[in-house]
Amino acid sequence: MTDSTRESSSENSPVNLSTTGSSAAAALLPVGSRQRRRGIGWPARLEIAVLSGPAIIMFFTFVILPVLMAAYYGFFSWKGYGPPKDFVGLRNYLTILQDPTFHDALRHNATIVVLSLLLQGPVAILLALLLNKKMRGQSVIRVLIFIPYVISEVIVGTGWSLILSTAGALNAFLKDAGLGWLAQDWLSNPKIAIWVLMVIITWKYIGFAVILLMAGLQGIPDELYEAAAIDGASYWQIQRRIALPLLGPTIRIWAFLSIIGSLQLFDLVYIIWGQFVAATAGTSTMATYMVANGRTSGNYGFGNAVAVFLFLITLVVALFYQRFVLRRDTAGALTGSKK
Amino acid sequence: MAVFAVLMLGAAGLTACDSGSTDGGSSTPGASANADAPVTMTLWHNATTGDGKTFEETTVADFEKIHPNVTIKIQAIQNEDMDGKLQTALNSGDAPDIFMQRGGGKMAAMVDAGQLMDITSFVTEDTHTVIPDGTFAADSLDGKIYAMPQSILPGGFFYSKDLFAAAGITSTPTTIDELNAAVTALKASGVAPIALGAKDAWPAAHWYFFFAIRECTSDTIAASAASKDFSDPCWLKAGEDLQAFAATTPFNDGFLTTSAQQGAGSSAGLVANHQAAMELMGAWDPGVIGSLTPDGQPLPDLGWFPFPEVPGGAGAPGSMMGGVDGFSCSAEAPQVACTDFLNYIATTPVQENYYKAFNSPPVNIEAQSAVTEPYLQDILAAVNSAPYVSQWLDTVLGANVGNALNVGVVNMLAGQGDPASIITAVSDAAAKE
Amino acid sequence: MIDAVEEVTLRRAPKRPWASPIVYLVALVLVSAMLAPVAYIIFGGFRTNSQITVSPSGLPHPWVVENYLEVLRGGIFWREVGNSTFVALVTTAGTVTIGLAASFVLARYRFNGRAVMYSLFAAGLMFPMTVAITPLYLMIRSLGLVNSLWGVILPQIAFGLATTVIILVPFLRAIPNEIEEAAAIDGCSRLGFFWRMVIPLAVPGVITTAILSFIGSWNGYILPLFILNDEANFTLPLGVQAFASQYSVDTAKVLAFTSLSMIPALVFFSLFERRIVGGLTGAVKG
Repeated sequence: MTDSTRESSSENSPVNLSTTGSSAAAALLPVGSRQRRRGIGWPARLEIAVLSGPAIIMFFTFVILPVLMAAYYGFFSWKGYGPPKDFVGLRNYLTILQDPTFHDALRHNATIVVLSLLLQGPVAILLALLLNKKMRGQSVIRVLIFIPYVISEVIVGTGWSLILSTAGALNAFLKDAGLGWLAQDWLSNPKIAIWVLMVIITWKYIGFAVILLMAGLQGIPDELYEAAAIDGASYWQIQRRIALPLLGPTIRIWAFLSIIGSLQLFDLVYIIWGQFVAATAGTSTMATYMVANGRTSGNYGFGNAVAVFLFLITLVVALFYQRFVLRRDTAGALTGSKK
Repeated sequence: MAVFAVLMLGAAGLTACDSGSTDGGSSTPGASANADAPVTMTLWHNATTGDGKTFEETTVADFEKIHPNVTIKIQAIQNEDMDGKLQTALNSGDAPDIFMQRGGGKMAAMVDAGQLMDITSFVTEDTHTVIPDGTFAADSLDGKIYAMPQSILPGGFFYSKDLFAAAGITSTPTTIDELNAAVTALKASGVAPIALGAKDAWPAAHWYFFFAIRECTSDTIAASAASKDFSDPCWLKAGEDLQAFAATTPFNDGFLTTSAQQGAGSSAGLVANHQAAMELMGAWDPGVIGSLTPDGQPLPDLGWFPFPEVPGGAGAPGSMMGGVDGFSCSAEAPQVACTDFLNYIATTPVQENYYKAFNSPPVNIEAQSAVTEPYLQDILAAVNSAPYVSQWLDTVLGANVGNALNVGVVNMLAGQGDPASIITAVSDAAAKE
Repeated sequence: MIDAVEEVTLRRAPKRPWASPIVYLVALVLVSAMLAPVAYIIFGGFRTNSQITVSPSGLPHPWVVENYLEVLRGGIFWREVGNSTFVALVTTAGTVTIGLAASFVLARYRFNGRAVMYSLFAAGLMFPMTVAITPLYLMIRSLGLVNSLWGVILPQIAFGLATTVIILVPFLRAIPNEIEEAAAIDGCSRLGFFWRMVIPLAVPGVITTAILSFIGSWNGYILPLFILNDEANFTLPLGVQAFASQYSVDTAKVLAFTSLSMIPALVFFSLFERRIVGGLTGAVKG
């Protein structure tokens, strides 16, 4: 859910999983493949190599290879310069597993995952249904609520830091409005900091959820609505009985992207709480833990081990989700049938 | 970069009479002794605003006038970003030639990695005359000097005389009890007693370190710093002292996300704007505070007093902790040009300018006699009469353990840990190396 | 009967009706909540520091233009905009071309290992930049690309391939085989088919991926944070953070810099907004 993940833009394309699913199965099964079995001639092989070569090479060099390297470096104690010399086996991984700070970070991530789904999902669905009418101003509203999503997390973090600091705009506004007793240490109070973070995350990403769901709604044929209307259903009955169920696949896709993004959260926390106090404030994530204990402290072996850990956790969650939640939407591109 | 090198080679070929290898690029380790060969160097420092930034620019410009063949490119990096960027640059072979050095374990790590130039033989007689050997000790390892000291920066309390007077405090606290009394009085007068920039972690840790200096003997401190073993009970006692002190809630609201030096909301900014009465800080603070006052001028009512004594502590009274800021040359830097620069910045006129720009004590003893501000004179007097001066413990311990110790203290102050957890933070960090 | 109704509706100019006031009220609340912090940042740039300290939540009074002018006049902002633009454009171009080529192969050729290749790219979704950054930085360092914009561009392309492939393969898949057969009958090779027919037909999907790639690159922070050390090479997000800490004394100027940094992304988005949503719609429909 972070802009940093936009580099692989998993959440930008909600389509990933639906097309990974149904169309992927279709994609890998060209129509009529069983009828015509052509052998692959050499010209075709060459074309394949030339066309897909660059992608494979780049992908391997910058995505696959670092994963493998991270796994390798994670077995060492290493300061980051020169070749790694100090093999320590599984010690880094054991340390991670036993580190209460990591447990905290994991807990925070889990909280963010769950709260993101709970806070954004229902609200976004409601808003999408509300705004789905063709009405005057629909596209203007759409654009405006999408704006926070377009702004980088750095800018969002910088701006909100200034607004929410103890001597900042929000507390001043509350005091001016006579609500001074509501003023808090929004960012410094470990009891409420995580909630404040959730508010910021929701603010940033709900526009995306609404747009996505609206896109999904547009895929529902109007005839279905008309038929129900003819049968005498009210607007909200239609939404509940027809639109919502048909929105299922889109919701599940959005949820997947939200989960993956929540697991990767880094930029916002790093910008607002800095290098050191995220854990104390109760807002650390696995990614900030990785950077704090790896790069910032010069423990590159350990940092790589955390990266591998993070990858495995994300992979397990994603596979789990694919197999159990998206199963009914898809034939399962990654976990399911081999065609 | 390659193009540049070629151009410089060409230019060098045209100008130089010397037949020595004249690579005009920035990396000629100790090659030619010809001072006329064009040399470019990069310099990283942490004075991002105000007079400090101007001082660096002026000093470099003056040096370039004296050495017309030398060009120095300056980059000012925010203090909190400096360590990370420097480490990245050093490790990737892309290091600046001249950079800020704080010594201690962080410097030791660089020496281990072969990233620093040994300048022992390049420090001139003149420099040795004006900078005492003891000061060089902070920037030396195994008898070799790796940096030129610039400023001696002991820690203590910087306070507002006006706010103290308004609270009815007549004399600066000399014991912890008196400090507690002062805190109470300041709270009653409606101002935050102590500003704390805990977001950057080290300001909180300084409190712990000072209690440790009071509770532990100098031998214990040196031994623990070297072995990273904090099992001596004085360390735990120091944590308990700090916890008891923090229980009186002497710090400003929201200290967890208050930075030390960045902006009017930082701890220095709070003092500068009379929103907090004092902070425990190193001797760079007057300059920082000065840049954050409404008019950008030094705070007129600024005063200083040393960390109070703790009854029953094993540390020698008057012991202090402080740092020595200096500049190092990277191992790849042009030897002659770089060491010339280091000797240049140690000269008395430059050191006097340094003091005026940063409002902090210079190491050059001739320049020290030019110091006029009473709080700086107090600091120098305290340092010169201290039985023991330790370096900042997080610097001594190095990035990994140092950071962990700092964060451990922050946790305790935020109510998330106890004194023992500070100690365990150290061993936890050691396990991650 | 239905046709007649449709005819009538078609002939009339489609006029969007007003929705109920409740909807607009909700929308107003929502939009205000969305935009209030953005407005704070923008207005903050029009104030002086003392205005901000004295009245943190007030409106500019008087309106001060110096901060914005200084940022616009100074070199830092434009240099970083330039860096960001270069990186984003090259990243987008690279991602789209390389991704399109690979997607074509996956969509329209059959060969052993195709499922594996597809799964490879799909797996890349689960390994975003944040996770990879530590070993990736080491990889970039060993390639000698630290501190270079290419050290940012190349990984961004690589990481963007996963999404691009996932989006484009269905698009390309959806091109009916009949067209391909017709092209073959006309003597067109598969590559020719690719050039002349596939690329034009894939334009909607390509635009979607291009936009996503551009925005992703423009807003990227952690990769430049690790790779770029020299201020001259900073991209805009990195520059915002550096500016904020360096000039933290000058809150108003920081706000001015921050709000100016929002503008390119917002402009880009408003130009392509319809395409983004349209692309998402088409893709979600599958």
